Amino acid sequence: MSDPTLAQPHLVEVHTTLETVVTTHNHNHRPSINASGEKKKIVGVFYKGNEYAKLNPNFVGCVEGALGIREWLESQGHQYIVTDDKEGPDSELEKHIPDAHVIISTPFHPAYVTAERIKKAQKLELLLTAGIGSDHVDLKAAAAAGLTVAEVTGSNVVSVAEDELMRILILMRNFLPGYHQAVKGEWNVAGIAHRAYDLEGKTVGTVGAGRIGKLLLQRLKPFNCNLLYFDRLRIDPELEKEIGAKFEEDLDAMLPKCDVIVINTPLTEQTRGLFDKNRIAKCKKGVLIVNNARGAIADTQAIADACSSGHVAGYSGDVWFPQPAPKDHPWRYMPNHAMTPHISGTTIDAQLRYAAGVKDMLDRHFKGEDFPEQNYIVKEGQLASQYR
Amino acid sequence: MAMKRAVQSLLASSSTLTRNLHASGEKKKIVGVFYKGNEYASNPNFVGCVERALGIREWLESQGHQYIVTDDKEGPDSELEKHIPDANVIISTPFHPAYITAERIKKAKNLELLLTAGIGSDHVDLKAAAAAGLTVAEITGSNVVSVAEDELLRILVLVRNFLPGYHQAVNGEWNVAGIAHRAYDLEGKTVGTVGAGRIGKLLLQRLKPFNCNLLYYDRLRMNTDLEKEIGAKFEEDLDAMLPKCDVIVINMPLTEQTRGLFDKNRIAKCKKGVVIVNNARGAIMDTQAIADACSSGHVAGYGGDVWPIQPAPKDHPWRYMPNHAMTPHISGTTIDAQLRYAAGVKDMLDRHFKGEDFPEQNYIVKEGQLASQYR
Repeated sequence: MSDPTLAQPHLVEVHTTLETVVTTHNHNHRPSINASGEKKKIVGVFYKGNEYAKLNPNFVGCVEGALGIREWLESQGHQYIVTDDKEGPDSELEKHIPDAHVIISTPFHPAYVTAERIKKAQKLELLLTAGIGSDHVDLKAAAAAGLTVAEVTGSNVVSVAEDELMRILILMRNFLPGYHQAVKGEWNVAGIAHRAYDLEGKTVGTVGAGRIGKLLLQRLKPFNCNLLYFDRLRIDPELEKEIGAKFEEDLDAMLPKCDVIVINTPLTEQTRGLFDKNRIAKCKKGVLIVNNARGAIADTQAIADACSSGHVAGYSGDVWFPQPAPKDHPWRYMPNHAMTPHISGTTIDAQLRYAAGVKDMLDRHFKGEDFPEQNYIVKEGQLASQYR
Repeated sequence: MAMKRAVQSLLASSSTLTRNLHASGEKKKIVGVFYKGNEYASNPNFVGCVERALGIREWLESQGHQYIVTDDKEGPDSELEKHIPDANVIISTPFHPAYITAERIKKAKNLELLLTAGIGSDHVDLKAAAAAGLTVAEITGSNVVSVAEDELLRILVLVRNFLPGYHQAVNGEWNVAGIAHRAYDLEGKTVGTVGAGRIGKLLLQRLKPFNCNLLYYDRLRMNTDLEKEIGAKFEEDLDAMLPKCDVIVINMPLTEQTRGLFDKNRIAKCKKGVVIVNNARGAIMDTQAIADACSSGHVAGYGGDVWPIQPAPKDHPWRYMPNHAMTPHISGTTIDAQLRYAAGVKDMLDRHFKGEDFPEQNYIVKEGQLASQYR
């Protein structure tokens, strides 16, 4: 596999006027504008690459690769602490919370930034997600503490959309039983074919049609499905026509129509446990569900039970609750699943994009400049509207 | 053989005899060779198995024809062998193929028609069939969407490294690095299809919104408008295309020219880490060359549902080589494909009984004449 070159972040225009924002009503306010000479303590929490880190020089998403920014940070005098040890009071992460200025984490090995940790983090200014999805952060506590929380919007949306389509095909076409036969020396076509279908002509509904959902719909178009979407906001009619997807205003009216349901919403208070026993029961018998959004949007046991009963003919995704998934997580062992660890947004190509995005935001932070607006989840204590 | 030739000449010279030969009263012996569905036959749309027999038994028997259906197709004592001497029509599928050898054709005194329920008639010795004045036809288009979808599935499974992730999930493990270090997006990669017939074109259409660099090699160039619409670039020289590709997809029939096309030398010229998908025919690849290249890592992944011998023996090397995404031969026998090919077989039997021609694109051999793409 040829490796794309790491893209350089865009040169940043230097502002001649620096706008100072002061929030007078928040006693925990921390300064977010910093003189360029000031040295910062940056903490990165990533998974360990171990023996794999040497196999691929573009593998920047692991502890060893550390987003490829160590030399750049240290050349500016900043301290860069990188660890995978993030759980419990004696973890490496916990040692650095009291004086870290920036914490970088990824959804693939998330550092849970709780209200308790935020309270201890006296110098913390900025929380960056290398990737997309900041629900490992207590966003309300972060906002109350006047923090900024940002992610690299767009960095993995193509990756996740591709992965969703892969999982739709794996479930619909019944790939895994065939693969199992191949490796076990078996040949029983009937054992596979009796529940294998083409995707063509099937009804696919995406719950949420943000960037990932739209990219999925675009990739599904030439498969000649019947495409439906549910979201709070309707897509522009021109784009709707171009994609060929029909808006469904009522989620519970859309779900029973679907042969395939794809979860594409963030995890919020409203969406936690959205797919519970009752809602699953209203879906079509034999429905396939793909969830690369967040595990906790689906009720763990309700999904396991529905797969065991066959009401859900297949469930596939790369998100779990909690993460890492414990060895005994029920989704590992239920029938007709096509689960993986949380990997879809951390392909090599995605890693290169999110590393570049993190570097860009650190650079702007050091210079006291704003980030791209779409990257903000919380901006100096203000929670973005889609997370309220 | 002399009698068959005499019948052919009578057909050519007399429309009255043609009509009489296919008078609706004439009873035929139809033999269907399919895999056994066993307990899975309970799905009423699962028509591709022995038990459901394409859903045409009642229709055939209501017209007085005899319909013999079996999965027992190998060797001199098989059920199939018993019926070869007097069968008029043999129906088979590429998923459980009845090998129609020159030897069997010589024994088949009453044989008129060989139908493939599906696509791909390379289980038939086409030259022997042509020499015997037979007609060989398949259901062109019946599974092309199915196979194109399946090819894209395997491209994604291999490029995105799905299987190691799945193995970790079921083994209670969580090692993101073990997966991520060799997982890529499909976006931006160079994908080349070797052959751009119906399946190849459908694949290219489905690949377009993934924003790859698409290349194709074929004997015939697409018309310029279709090329532009699909976004694929023509490559006149196969050996110039292959080293450019991150992903190679095999989309040509098995012929004398394509047998063993991907041998040790040609694989060595491909990019290190190339991913290969083959839902065309297993024997287009050299079996051991593929296994060796996967073991060395020169081929980063090989996925397909076709094998040089089908069913694949328990010890076939492709079952056990690293980084494969193989299955038994299933892509063209989804329920949806089965319903289409069963309908196509019924249509051609009906036309055969009435002495009518088939859709032209369905012919592989028409009354002894081999279609040009198979010469």
